[in-house]
Amino acid sequence: MAKGLGIIMFSGTADKFIPLGVLTQTAANLGVPVRIFVTGFALPYFTKNKPEPRFPKEFEDMVPKVHEGMERVKAPTWYDMVKDAKELGDVKVYVCSLMAEIVGVKKEDMDPIVDDVVGAAFFMNETEDYEIIFI
Amino acid sequence: MPELIKVDARGMACPGPISALTRAYRKAKNGDTIEVLATDPGFKPDVQAWVKRTNNELIELTEEGGVIKAVIKVTGKRG
Repeated sequence: MAKGLGIIMFSGTADKFIPLGVLTQTAANLGVPVRIFVTGFALPYFTKNKPEPRFPKEFEDMVPKVHEGMERVKAPTWYDMVKDAKELGDVKVYVCSLMAEIVGVKKEDMDPIVDDVVGAAFFMNETEDYEIIFI
Repeated sequence: MPELIKVDARGMACPGPISALTRAYRKAKNGDTIEVLATDPGFKPDVQAWVKRTNNELIELTEEGGVIKAVIKVTGKRG
């Protein structure tokens, strides 16, 4: 296995936040470091005024079943999974400085789950020996 | 004194049982035993991967009536 897991979190829909939570927590459980780079449409969900992620229209017909199933298995929210993972292992959440500028959010507007606002060079350097996935 | 730590992760879905095990493991020391009960069907292969990755020892892995029981000897703690 690579030295760590780098996750570029770009999508801002509920379906994509599920694997973010599960993979981050699993890596933390296994002692694998995780670095998350939040950019694109995912950014608003990492601010203090975060909205609830919505499922994309194309999966509309599956959503009630997914909701019902997640309730039945008592699946935690993506946010709690990432927060828990930060307690369990070496997990850092970085927000892309370019996207933060584009949508006009400052460091002080970020949710406490965010460790820092950084550029892409910092993230690439941090994760040079890591497996990187793009969500 | 080595301790026996019991973790009841029955009813939890993936990755809940492994997270519960990791949480218990953080407080454990080498020589302790952790016993985990889980009903998640993924727990059997997951716990085997976890012990391998964290250098601990799986001394029992059984399933009875849909409940998986894993007994782990803590050997992977550093320092």
